[in-house]
Amino acid sequence: MVASRLVHWIKWLTGLFGPTRWSPSSCPSWLLAILMGPLLVLLIPGGAEALKKCTTCHRKPTLSKRLPSGRVISLFVDEELLKESVHAKHSCSDCHSDIRAIPHKGEIKRVSCIRCHFKGNVVGAPQKDINLEFAKSVHGVAAAAGNAKAPVCQDCHGTHNILSPKDPDSQMNKANIPETCGRCHLEVFSDYRESVHWAAFEHEKEDSAVCTDCHGEHTIRAHENPESSTYMTRVPETCSRCHSSVAVVGKYGIKTEQVATYGRSYHGIAIKFGGKTVANCASCHGVHDILPSSDPRSAVHIDNIPKTCGKCHTGANANYAKGKIHVDPTKREAGTVYWISLLFKWLTISVMMALVGHIGLDLFRRFRRRGAAH
Amino acid sequence: MDEEQRNRQVAQEGVEAGLRESLKRELEGEIRQVVEAELREELSRELRDRLVARVKAELAEEIRARIARVKAELEAEILGRAVPSPPLREFERFSGNFRVQHMVLMVSCIILIITGLPLKFHEARVSQIFFDLIGGVQMSTLIHRIGAVGLISVGAYHLLYLIASREGRRNFWALLPRPKDATDLFQMLRYFLGRTDQKPRFGRFSYVEKFDYWAVYWGMLIMIGSGLLLWFLETSLRFLPKFAADIAREAHSDEGLLATLAIIIWHFYNVHLNPEHFPMNWTFWTGMIGEEEMRRHHPLEYEELMASRVARPPAVAGLAAAGQSAADPPLPSPSDDRAQRALGEKSP
Repeated sequence: MVASRLVHWIKWLTGLFGPTRWSPSSCPSWLLAILMGPLLVLLIPGGAEALKKCTTCHRKPTLSKRLPSGRVISLFVDEELLKESVHAKHSCSDCHSDIRAIPHKGEIKRVSCIRCHFKGNVVGAPQKDINLEFAKSVHGVAAAAGNAKAPVCQDCHGTHNILSPKDPDSQMNKANIPETCGRCHLEVFSDYRESVHWAAFEHEKEDSAVCTDCHGEHTIRAHENPESSTYMTRVPETCSRCHSSVAVVGKYGIKTEQVATYGRSYHGIAIKFGGKTVANCASCHGVHDILPSSDPRSAVHIDNIPKTCGKCHTGANANYAKGKIHVDPTKREAGTVYWISLLFKWLTISVMMALVGHIGLDLFRRFRRRGAAH
Repeated sequence: MDEEQRNRQVAQEGVEAGLRESLKRELEGEIRQVVEAELREELSRELRDRLVARVKAELAEEIRARIARVKAELEAEILGRAVPSPPLREFERFSGNFRVQHMVLMVSCIILIITGLPLKFHEARVSQIFFDLIGGVQMSTLIHRIGAVGLISVGAYHLLYLIASREGRRNFWALLPRPKDATDLFQMLRYFLGRTDQKPRFGRFSYVEKFDYWAVYWGMLIMIGSGLLLWFLETSLRFLPKFAADIAREAHSDEGLLATLAIIIWHFYNVHLNPEHFPMNWTFWTGMIGEEEMRRHHPLEYEELMASRVARPPAVAGLAAAGQSAADPPLPSPSDDRAQRALGEKSP
């Protein structure tokens, strides 16, 4: 154990001078402590001192500023929040690096998180590959194109109140995601609050879907983008992540077979092989406002089926509701379809047995005769 | 040994010559009698001569064929060899019209199976490859419907052919199931199991061919019925409940598989893999069947055919002698048709 660690350290140290790939993140923790320790010692008292300096003004809740656009923004910094955040040990200027003097001079820019949060940083700021996907996301693309309203890191993760997503108070904790997204996506949020997912979520069913469960986090794309998890051909896959899993929906008494029956339906098969004009889950069940079929407001309630099917099938009438929708011909509940399926199964088996038997006997006779002739 | 063989040879030649002469004399006498009785009143001398010449030529050929067969059999008997069976003649089994119908049915079925099965077996890797190759489900659906048009057309045309054409009516009559088919099946099974060495003697269509023919009726009924319902789904659902479409889909899918298996296992065995026909039976293309095969597989049809050609003059002679009008048709129309068809036979 000790020997293997020793070998690892030696390898790392020699790697500094060798041709092999060397990365600072593979630095052993003891060496990191030796290298970074003095830096931290410098940072901590410095941070506390600097905070005191800044909060002289920024502790006042009324401190605000009028932007050229006319918008008034609060410049109040809640010290208590900051002290509880993951960045408690950092000084203000670690993030607000363009502030060099008091009173501040020039334009004060937005904090850039990638100053520390890049792959292989030495201060230990967490950074995963998936986070880099943000640049390709609908938010990242809009932000890069100069849309001032497009969210960047701190819009979702928070500013001075940044906490680990595992913390129940974090803006990025699953419990707070609908509100966090809803700050901008107000209309969608109000739709979502009508849905069965929200109802279940409110009843502390932490398995219920919130925004990010369907849309993704850093990978959010517009639903017209074929890479999006909510692109029309990828919706079944996205819904089935929970709805085909007994471990997720099964424990709430929700059937998982709906995913399989959809997959076997013409809709499901065609969508798998590039059909662009067939129904996915959301075409019938709705998107943000999904409700159970027992609810009269639901798109899949029996009274609403003609209207729902009629979105694609012109002239849909009450006949569309006569019969099971997610029909499984192998199950007895399928009714006539089950019996037809059974009939054909046995017809096929018996006909094939008869035909193969006839062929077999024919060959048997031929070979026997040939054998007898020799 | 040599001596014995030479003696046999001589004996054989004597038998042959005697047989040839007697057959010739007998038949020629009969022909003359018949033709004269038949044509005495109505026909001119010239026409009579021409007819006599034609019938003579035909009979001469018939006699030659018979002599050749008798000779071969005798030779085989003497030398202890198997009967050599050269393809003597060919008979037309399927007319051009019928062959075109089979062709359209075949091509349509292949198209329908290729574009249909990947939907049924959508979970298979090969289905994914198929859809990638063909350009997605939209393209395969289109091709499937082209195949469907072919199948429906040939089905409708066949019904018309059965009603409107003489050949169709005759074939349909021959294809109707009869009690003999059941007894043939039992005899065939006994033959397979070695209980008898006598194969059942089939007519124009054996029970196997009749099964194939009627199985296609069942398949067409299910596939076209359910297929049209699904093709025009929105129109169908105006009158039918949704579960009718589910039933149609299930039936279409299951019958499609049954038909495919029947074709691949049963039909392929009968026309391709069967040791008698391997690698394939060309009758579907040429329409012709060899005399040997005809005698082996359709002995009743062959005999009827031969009887209508060879045995006709004596039969007519007999009737004429009994004082009946020679102008009356000597036999009912089905065998008359066969005789006419047989005149279209080809010599190799």
